Amino acid sequence: MKINLKLLGGMLFMLPLTMAAQSPISGFMKAKGEGSITVTQSREDYSDVFLVPNKVNSVPVFNKVTTKSVSLYAEYGFSDRLNFVVSLPYIQTTGEATPATLANNGFENERSGFQDVSIYGKYKIKSYEVMNGNLDIIGALGVETPLGNYDVDEGLQSIIAIGNRSTDITGLAIANYKHNSGIFAIGQVGYSLRSNEVPNALISELKLGYAASVIYGDIFIANQLSSSDGVDILGQGFTGFFPATRVNYTRIGANMFVPIVKGFGLTAGINTYIEGRNLGDSTGAYSGISYSF
Amino acid sequence: MKNIYKKFGIGLTLCSVLLTATSCENSSSYEDELPSIANIAVSNDAFSTLEAAAINGGVAGVLSNSNPNDASGDYTVFAPNNSAFARLGLDESTLGVLQTPFLTNTLLYHVSNGNLPSSAIAANGTSASALGGLTRRFVSRDGSLFINGSKIIATDITAENGTVHVIDKVMIATGGNVVESAIALQSASVFKNPELSYLVEAVVYAELAEALSNPAAKFTVFAPNDQAFINLGTALGLTFDEPADVRMIDKDLLTAVLLNHVFAETSKDSFTSELNAGSYDALGSDTITLGTYNNGVLTVRGSGNTSPANMVIPDVQTTNGIVHVIDQVLLPL
Repeated sequence: MKINLKLLGGMLFMLPLTMAAQSPISGFMKAKGEGSITVTQSREDYSDVFLVPNKVNSVPVFNKVTTKSVSLYAEYGFSDRLNFVVSLPYIQTTGEATPATLANNGFENERSGFQDVSIYGKYKIKSYEVMNGNLDIIGALGVETPLGNYDVDEGLQSIIAIGNRSTDITGLAIANYKHNSGIFAIGQVGYSLRSNEVPNALISELKLGYAASVIYGDIFIANQLSSSDGVDILGQGFTGFFPATRVNYTRIGANMFVPIVKGFGLTAGINTYIEGRNLGDSTGAYSGISYSF
Repeated sequence: MKNIYKKFGIGLTLCSVLLTATSCENSSSYEDELPSIANIAVSNDAFSTLEAAAINGGVAGVLSNSNPNDASGDYTVFAPNNSAFARLGLDESTLGVLQTPFLTNTLLYHVSNGNLPSSAIAANGTSASALGGLTRRFVSRDGSLFINGSKIIATDITAENGTVHVIDKVMIATGGNVVESAIALQSASVFKNPELSYLVEAVVYAELAEALSNPAAKFTVFAPNDQAFINLGTALGLTFDEPADVRMIDKDLLTAVLLNHVFAETSKDSFTSELNAGSYDALGSDTITLGTYNNGVLTVRGSGNTSPANMVIPDVQTTNGIVHVIDQVLLPL
């Protein structure tokens, strides 16, 4: 089955913006002048936390944490080779600390606000016809920086902080192989330099999926390994400043997109952690609507 | 040139597959690591009140890290479990009845510098706590080892930054003498609501404050709580609305009654772990009769009590004695 990859590229933007647990960059390029705007809403929650050496079954202080977000995501093809991607999430985290615990510690059960805006440029270095398909080599470079004035230094209150207040510079190398049948595989590896004591991190993602003009679907496994100069929560060096913690994870999930009419489409996905270090064992889902032009 | 990209692309794909697969976060990579003392409290459901107390008292961060005040970098913590806190009516939702500085000091009293393994603990020995060096003492009773009045029910839980032993009662030390300790309660420095207010008023009225402040003594004191005095007033046909109302009682009588709340033996104070059923001479003319030792407490009775008093806060260590707060005033015949 020969499909129109350019049309497909124009439809795919997929930003499952369930935080940083999935690469913000898709492996697909938009053609010059094409773009998309996507709005998603997501929800995830956790009561288990990956601590070292053991997972604990209740979030300290807050017992259970729910994170909801509304994210705006836009992608535009400056040229066939150069795309820009902008995203901005608004996040609300809600804990379930008891009234007594809140009163004793002066804590609150909710934090919300605009989190970090990210701007990426991605450049298709080379496209190559190979093995009954197409191989794209893409390089991406982006910066992510806090937009809202949210706090991260409120001691254990910051267990439910909406972000790390760090400015990250991330470089990604992406290889996207699409078979003419519509099946594709995308591998990404990258490195993220982070401020505000947040450990730098090696990130990687592998995605397998099927993309046709009527439907898109993928499954992925995403991984982050933080520099070991980060500290463990409640471990040596921990001062209650959560951005400095060493956050590692392996997350799996699935994404889907269905074009509806006149450039509009619906997207949805689910994801969960299978292993982690210093983060909540959350499971989440998102849905959204997008418009392509 | 094309081949370079092709190889690069295939290499990159392989690389990402390998990275994703092999760098997967895996608990086995740190299963040999030991949890910190704070982590043990957080990880164990039996310590959820201690966890909340440590967070509330501001010591969770301290007990996450190595001890800067000891060459070994270690702490030893005698950790009260949830049942221990529950004896005082304390759990995660009620900890707020305590003043935070008192809570912090109480936690520090459970901590000492360096490792103190159970093999190094011997009856009649003592151990200096992290609360200004106030010492705790070890007691052997019925084949079990106690620290003060608290039974050590599990030993030698090894943490990255020290050792944890589990105890069945919260240990309390005030750092003041018997009178100062009662005043601390009365002035709401311990609980946010005043306690022992009537007792403090009565001690002042009876002019016993100086005697009970004697730094050379080692008193064993049974301290009736406020409700005990209010009930006494009712029994005497009086209405006690405020502590000053104890002055309705004849001063000499009240003095005699108060002296019946202190063991005549003032050279050796006693935790519950050191007390047995029987009659003991009081500083006053009466005797104090203790019931059978039962799960860390004993009942207490004066000659005139129709039913024995219960200990509501046993084993409060002061600098010149041990105070057991009870729920009735001990009465002479």
